[in-house]
Amino acid sequence: MELSTILPIARQELTVAIRNKWTTIFALVFGSLVLAISYFGTMTAGEIGFQGFNRTTASLLSLVLYLIPLVALMMGTQSFLRNEGEDEMLFSQPVSRSEILAGKLLGLFAAMTTATFIGFGIGGIVIATQTDAEGFLGYPAFVMLSLILSLVFLSLSMLAAIASRRRTKAFGIALLLWFFFVILYDLLVLGGSLLLKERSANYFIFASLFGNPVDIVRVAGLLSMKGGEVFGAAGAALLKFLGGYGQAIGALIVGLLVWTVAPILVSFRLLRDQDI
Amino acid sequence: MRSYCFSILLIFLAAFAVQAEVLRVGAEEQFKTVNAAIRAAKPGDTIRVESGIYNENLLIDKSLTIEGVGGPTIKGTGKGSVIEITADNCTITRLKVETSGGDLVGEDAGILLRSNGNTIEDIELRDILFGIYLFNSSDNKVNRNQIFGRTELESGARGGGIHVWNSQNNLFEDNVVTEARDGMYIQTSSNNIFRRNRVFNLRYGLHFMNSDDNLFEDNVFYDNIAGAAIMYSKNIVLKRNTFVHNRGFSSFGILFQDCRECTIEENLVLDNAVGLFLEASLNSVFCRNTVAENDVAMEIFASSENNLFEQNNFINNMSPLTLIGKTSSTKWASDAGGNYWDDYDGYDLDTDGIGDVSHPIHNIFEYLEGNFPRMRIYLNSPAAQSLVAAEKAFPILKGSNEFDRRPLMRPVKIDTTFPPRESRGAAKWLLLAFSSAILGLSLAAFKRGFAR
Repeated sequence: MELSTILPIARQELTVAIRNKWTTIFALVFGSLVLAISYFGTMTAGEIGFQGFNRTTASLLSLVLYLIPLVALMMGTQSFLRNEGEDEMLFSQPVSRSEILAGKLLGLFAAMTTATFIGFGIGGIVIATQTDAEGFLGYPAFVMLSLILSLVFLSLSMLAAIASRRRTKAFGIALLLWFFFVILYDLLVLGGSLLLKERSANYFIFASLFGNPVDIVRVAGLLSMKGGEVFGAAGAALLKFLGGYGQAIGALIVGLLVWTVAPILVSFRLLRDQDI
Repeated sequence: MRSYCFSILLIFLAAFAVQAEVLRVGAEEQFKTVNAAIRAAKPGDTIRVESGIYNENLLIDKSLTIEGVGGPTIKGTGKGSVIEITADNCTITRLKVETSGGDLVGEDAGILLRSNGNTIEDIELRDILFGIYLFNSSDNKVNRNQIFGRTELESGARGGGIHVWNSQNNLFEDNVVTEARDGMYIQTSSNNIFRRNRVFNLRYGLHFMNSDDNLFEDNVFYDNIAGAAIMYSKNIVLKRNTFVHNRGFSSFGILFQDCRECTIEENLVLDNAVGLFLEASLNSVFCRNTVAENDVAMEIFASSENNLFEQNNFINNMSPLTLIGKTSSTKWASDAGGNYWDDYDGYDLDTDGIGDVSHPIHNIFEYLEGNFPRMRIYLNSPAAQSLVAAEKAFPILKGSNEFDRRPLMRPVKIDTTFPPRESRGAAKWLLLAFSSAILGLSLAAFKRGFAR
């Protein structure tokens, strides 16, 4: 793998994605939602000394957890499926298949970053002007977590597209992945934990956090924006389980990296053995 | 007969006034040390201390007034209490008091009061184990003092800022306490009044044990482990206090443990891990408080019975109520109306200001959380939100029995506010810089993408 071959592919992918009207539409929608949340969330700031951080944090988090996986999956599936002319051109070049995938992934990630940075930028400016921002020191960390979340779902979409190869199937799988990770998984874990005894239920819940990148981002986001006490006794138990605040954040980020790298490696393998 | 008595009293007073002398202490004055002046003084005399540093511990064993001129410092020997008062009716004002001993059991304090009827005013205390310690000491006035504890010690190893033990009928006004163990620790002491004190950066702002009938008005508690921990006491009145930003695991705005008949009115409980915590506390009334921006507004154990919440505002809390146990016998409304809940989604057709539909105080997820604390890990998750949606669609899932049957449509107007802290504006600029940077990056990328 050569960076000198990956980068031009990434740059090409970024340009294509930005010129694609869906990226602009997503940027506008995401931007206006973040603007609305940060503006209305902190509108009453200062009245009796409150700042509206809870409402803003919770709404931003929900927005990211629902929207970013969905958009990343759609954008990624769309791009990683065979596009007649483009593919013929790319695959006939003296670059490896893995380099093509890596370049496209990097380009798409750059496009997602570009699209979400508009919203996060505007939101941050609104919060900074309306409040004293004391409760929002974790905002940059939260933005980074959202980025990693989009990367995770881009690589999952890559896997979905390459494994299924057919358009309808790939989009179907992408939607199922979204539904599974965003809603179903947590409900299954919640239900399952009710069947277990207190102690093992705790371990079960903590361990199963790592089975879902959406959960990892949610927990890490709340940890960095509100601190562990937001989870009450469960938060204390989680931090103890993971060995402290720093270690907890570290473990969660490692979990996210595994969720990013694993689908990439599997896709590389699948594509290597595929007939094109 | 009465006028006869009165004239005798007047004569006495006149004689007393004639006899009372002013003794001056200072480098250029008759007395070089305060102790020398105390030895020479008669009860009722005034000792005036000029500015300077006096390296001595004071034992005040006769009724004296000691006042500083130009901010003199009494710097203790580092053993025992810097000033110990054993005579009644002393007045100590306008001094700086520093360097007490370090023995918690020995009650080493900046000022140790063992007598009654004293006035302690405008004292600045630093580097002391306890700040002002009232030991079997009643009818005192402790006003406008500033207490700075020892930051080099862990909070558990420090003493209380204002420590009150077995002392009744005292008045504490306008004191500032920080970096101590507990801001105001009150044990077995009743009928004390605390007004306009400011307590921050320490363990418990207010810590209460077995002390009945105390009144707290307009105090401000912030950045502590807990705002107030009120335990084993009854008839405590809290009015117009603010409990702000008390965060951490097992942190509370106000904690009530085994209390009864307390009145909590017009307080502001803002940005705490848990706003109000009640365990085994009975018959208390929470009226016209604002509970806002807490992670959990209220945590109530089912062992708390017969408490009334009326006309409070619950705004922007991440969760309104964690109930430990199945039901509580809490009353969420009176004839005057219930409370204002910012997430109330009912309507008010008869426009009497009271919602026509009962407000379920917590949803099914929050209800489950009370008995399965681990579920809180799923706070703010889409799964929790879908559970709530399911509860609305299929009412058969109803879990909680806590309802406000007369929810208010508009927040109750309460004047208690949190005075802004000295602005630490750095956060604002950091966030502004970060946001502008990423916005700029993004716009640059878009511009480049669209460029031919």
